Amino acid sequence: MNRALRRISLACLVMFVLLLANANYLQGFAANNLANKPGNSRTFSQQFQYQRGSIVTADNKTIAESRPVKGIYKYQRYYPDGTVYAPVTGYDSIYSATGIEQAEDRLLSGSDPALAVHNLVDMITGKPKKGARVQLTINSAAQQAAYDGLKAMGLQGGVVALDPRTGAVLALASYPSFDPNDLATFNGTQLIKVDKKLLADPNQPLRNKALDDTFPPGSTFKIVTSSTAFSSGKYTPTTRVFAPTSLTLPDTSNKLINFDGEGCNDGSNPTGNGKVPLIYAFTVSCNTVFGDLGMHLGGAALRSQAVKFGMNDPNLTIPLPVAQSNYPPVSTPAFTAYSAIGQYNDTVTPLQEAMFSAAIANNGTLMKPYMVQKVTAPDLASLVTANPTTLSQTVSPEVAANVKQLMISVVQSPAGTAHATADIGNLDIAGKTGTAQNGINNTGLDDAVFTGFAPASNPKIAVGVVVRGGGQGADASAPIAVKVIQAYLASLARQ
Amino acid sequence: MLVFVLVVVMFAYASVGLGLNGKVPAGMFTYGISFAVIVGAAHLAVRRLAPWSDPLMLPLAALLNGLGIVMIYRLQESGRAGNAGTKISTMSSSTTAFQVMWSAVGIVAFVVVLALVRQPRTLQRYTYTLGAIGLALVVIPAVLPASLSEINGAKVWITVGGFSIQPGEFAKLALAVFFAGYLVSKRDVLALAGRRVLGIDLPRARDLGPVLIAWGASLLVLVFETDIGTSALFFGLFVVMIYVATQRTSWLLIGVGLFVFGSLTASKLFNHVGARFKAWQDPYSAANVFCNPATQHHCVSSYQLAEGLYGMTFGGVLGRGLGQGQPYWTPLVQSDFIITAFGEELGVTGLMALLIIYGLIVQRGLRAAIAVRDPFSKLLAGGLAFVLALQVFVIVGGVTRLIPLTGITTPFLSQGGSSLVASWMLIALLMRISDTARRPAPQPIQDEGMTQVVRAG
Repeated sequence: MNRALRRISLACLVMFVLLLANANYLQGFAANNLANKPGNSRTFSQQFQYQRGSIVTADNKTIAESRPVKGIYKYQRYYPDGTVYAPVTGYDSIYSATGIEQAEDRLLSGSDPALAVHNLVDMITGKPKKGARVQLTINSAAQQAAYDGLKAMGLQGGVVALDPRTGAVLALASYPSFDPNDLATFNGTQLIKVDKKLLADPNQPLRNKALDDTFPPGSTFKIVTSSTAFSSGKYTPTTRVFAPTSLTLPDTSNKLINFDGEGCNDGSNPTGNGKVPLIYAFTVSCNTVFGDLGMHLGGAALRSQAVKFGMNDPNLTIPLPVAQSNYPPVSTPAFTAYSAIGQYNDTVTPLQEAMFSAAIANNGTLMKPYMVQKVTAPDLASLVTANPTTLSQTVSPEVAANVKQLMISVVQSPAGTAHATADIGNLDIAGKTGTAQNGINNTGLDDAVFTGFAPASNPKIAVGVVVRGGGQGADASAPIAVKVIQAYLASLARQ
Repeated sequence: MLVFVLVVVMFAYASVGLGLNGKVPAGMFTYGISFAVIVGAAHLAVRRLAPWSDPLMLPLAALLNGLGIVMIYRLQESGRAGNAGTKISTMSSSTTAFQVMWSAVGIVAFVVVLALVRQPRTLQRYTYTLGAIGLALVVIPAVLPASLSEINGAKVWITVGGFSIQPGEFAKLALAVFFAGYLVSKRDVLALAGRRVLGIDLPRARDLGPVLIAWGASLLVLVFETDIGTSALFFGLFVVMIYVATQRTSWLLIGVGLFVFGSLTASKLFNHVGARFKAWQDPYSAANVFCNPATQHHCVSSYQLAEGLYGMTFGGVLGRGLGQGQPYWTPLVQSDFIITAFGEELGVTGLMALLIIYGLIVQRGLRAAIAVRDPFSKLLAGGLAFVLALQVFVIVGGVTRLIPLTGITTPFLSQGGSSLVASWMLIALLMRISDTARRPAPQPIQDEGMTQVVRAG
C-alpha cells in the first residue's frame, strides 16, 4: 500500500503547489488588473481612506477640504461656501466627480505620477499618504460678488471674470447652484435621492451655466463685427456707415429693425436713410447698421474673426471642459446679417463673452483661460505652476484700440446703452450690452448679456455675464458685471 | 514549539488591536491565557496518552486554531467601538468568545479520542456502526425540513433550539473509518483483475458495486443538499482509499471518470451547479455579481467571490497588515472566505505560510500512514490526511478561483464549532496512528539465562 500512499502524497503536493501558484498569480500578477475593475469596492473606498488635497482660491480661501470622520471612510469631503463655489469645485461623490474635483483628481488624490516619489518617501517614513493642494486663480471677492449678483436676479445665468493679461479665471459663477456637501455623503440611498432631486429641477442646478450652457450673444457680437470691419482696413470709428431705420434683407421679405423699431440717428440722420459714424452705431447698438456692415464684410470674414476670438472650438479646457461657442457656417447674406448682430445660430458661453472683452482689453492678444494657479505636494514642493499662454492674436493692437474706444463709448458717453447702469464712480469700465431675442418670433424672454473690462486705461479684469430671460443686457447683466469689477478691484487695492 | 506558537498568536492578536485602533486589545490576555491553558492541557494529554506521536502536529494545528481565533476577533471588532471599518452584521460581539469555547470543546474531543482509541485497530471493530452513523449524519439534513437544516442557503445543518451543527464534518470522520474497515476486509476481492483494456486492469463488473453506491450517495448529497463541496470530499475520500487499498490505478480512473461525468450531468440537470460554473468563469461581470437568486433563475451571485478576490489582490504580496485591510466587504468572510481575509491582511506571504502549515500536517499524516504497519491504520491515516488536503484544496482553490467555488469550511480557521471539533478529532486520530507507528517495538528479552519475567503493562 505504501506505493499508493506515496503517489497520494505526490497528488497532495501537486494540490498544494497549485494553490500556492494560484495565490501568487492572483496577489502578485493579477493584482493591478483586478484593482482597476470598475466594481472593486476596495480600490474605490481607498480614496476616502486618506486625506485628499484641498482646493483653495488665489487668496487662500479653502473651498474644498477632506475632514477626518468616523466610520468605514476616514475622510469626508467638505465644501465651505459650497453653493457659491459649486461650478468651480464640482463635487466628489462616492459615484462620480465633476469640476476641479474631476479635472485635477489625480493630483488631489495623490495618484498622479508627479507624486510617486513623495508617496514612496511617505510610505518609507510611515507618514499617511496625502493628496496635493490645488490653488486656483479664483478671487473669492469676485466669485462672491458674481454669485450674489446672479442670486439677486433669481434667474438662470452665468458669470465669468478673467484677468485679460494672463487668462486667469477670477470668477466662475452659475445660478441656480447646488450644495456639493449634499453629494459628498457616504449614504448611497441619500445620495441617489439628492441626485434625483437635482436632476429633476427644471432650472438644472447641476449644469455649470458659465461653461456648459450657450446663449445667443445678441449685440455683444458687434464687437466681433467691428473687429472684422477695422481689420479690413476700410473702417475707422468715425467712418460714416449706412444706418437705415429698417433694413430689408436680400432675397427675403424680412426686415431687420433696431430695438423697438427706433431710428439710428445721432442728429445727422433725420431721414432714417442716411449715415452715422460707426462709433455712434456701436454706442447705441443699431442692428440695421451692423446687419448691413456684416453683409458688406461677408460671412467668411466674420466667421474667421469669430474663430480667432475662440468660437467654434470644441476642445477648450480650462481644465474644466468648455462647451463650444458657435458661429454657424457661412450661408446667405440675409443670415450673415443676422449673425453679424449675434442672432440666428450664434451661441456663446458666458466664458466666451468674457473672452471677447479680454482679447480687446489685452491689445488683441487672447490669453488661454485657466483656473489652476499652483499645485503643491503635501511637503510643500511645487508640482505645477501655471504658465499663461496665448490662445490667439485676435486683432492687431491698433484694431483693438479702435474697438476699445467703441466699448468705452458704450459705457461712458451719455447716449451709450450701458451708461446708466455701468458708468459707476471712477471704475472706468468699457463694455457692450446685448439683448438676445429668444424663441419663435422672439416670443421668449430676452436673454440679458453684458461683456466688459476695467479699468479701460489699464485693464485688470474682463467680465462676461449672461442672465437667461433677464431682459435688456444693460439692466440685468451690466450691474452684475459692475459689482464683480468693483469687488475685484477693491480686493486688489487691499493687497 | 507550543511556546513559539503562543508567541506568534499573541503577537498577531496585539497586531490586530494596533491595526484597528492603535491600542493593544483589552481582551488580549483573557483570550490569550484561555488559549494557552487549552493548548497546554492538550500538550499534557498528548505527553500522557500518546507520547510517541508526531511532535509537530499539535503545534501546527494549535497555530492554525490560534490564528483563526485572532482573525475572527479582528473581523468581529471591525467597525465596533470606534474601530476602523464597518460592522459585520453576521457576527455578534461574542463570536470570538464562542470560537474560543469551541476550541476548548475541540481540544476536549481531541483528548477524548486519544483516551478512548488507545489502539487504532479498536476502531476496526466499529466499522459498520460508524458507517451507519456516517450515512445517517449525511442524510439527516437532506430529509429534515429546510427550517431545521438550511442556513444561508446551504442545507447541511441540524438546528436544534438555536444550536446548529454541521453533521457532514463528523460524517467525514465516521465514513473514513468505515471505508478503512470495509476496504481492509474486501481489498483482495476488489484487487482482482478483470479484463485488461489499454494497459489498465479493469476490475470485475460485479466488484463495481461499492464504488457505484458511494458515487450515488455523493450525488444524492449534491442534489438534495446543494452541497458540491461535501460530495466531492466524500467521493474523493472513497476513491483514494480504494486506490490505496487495492493499488489499482483503474479504480482511480473509474472514480475520476464517474465524478467528472456526474458533475457535468449535474451542471446540465441542476441549475445551481451550472450557475456556480458561470459565476466561476466571470466573477467580475456585473451580470454575475448582481444576479439575484430570489428573482432570477439559474443564478448564483459571484459578489462574495469577487469581493474575496478583490480583497486578496488588495493585500498584494505583503498584505495590508492585521486590522488594516477591508475584509468586511466580503459577505460571510468569517466562515468559508476567511482565507481571503488572511490573504488581504497578511498578503500572499502569509497565505503561503498558512498553506504550508496545512501541507505539513498532511505530509506528517501521510508519513504516519506509510510508517504504520497495520493495514487498517495505514488506510485510515492515508484517507484522513488526504481528505484534509482535499478540503483545503477545494475551499482555498474555490475562493482563489482555481476551481469553481463550493462552500465548505476551512479547517481550524473558519468560524464554527462543528468544523473545529471535527478537525481536532481528525488530528487526534492521525496522532494516535503516528504514535502507534513510532512506538518502539517491545524490548525482546535479551538475557536467556535469567528467569523469564512477564512484564506487566
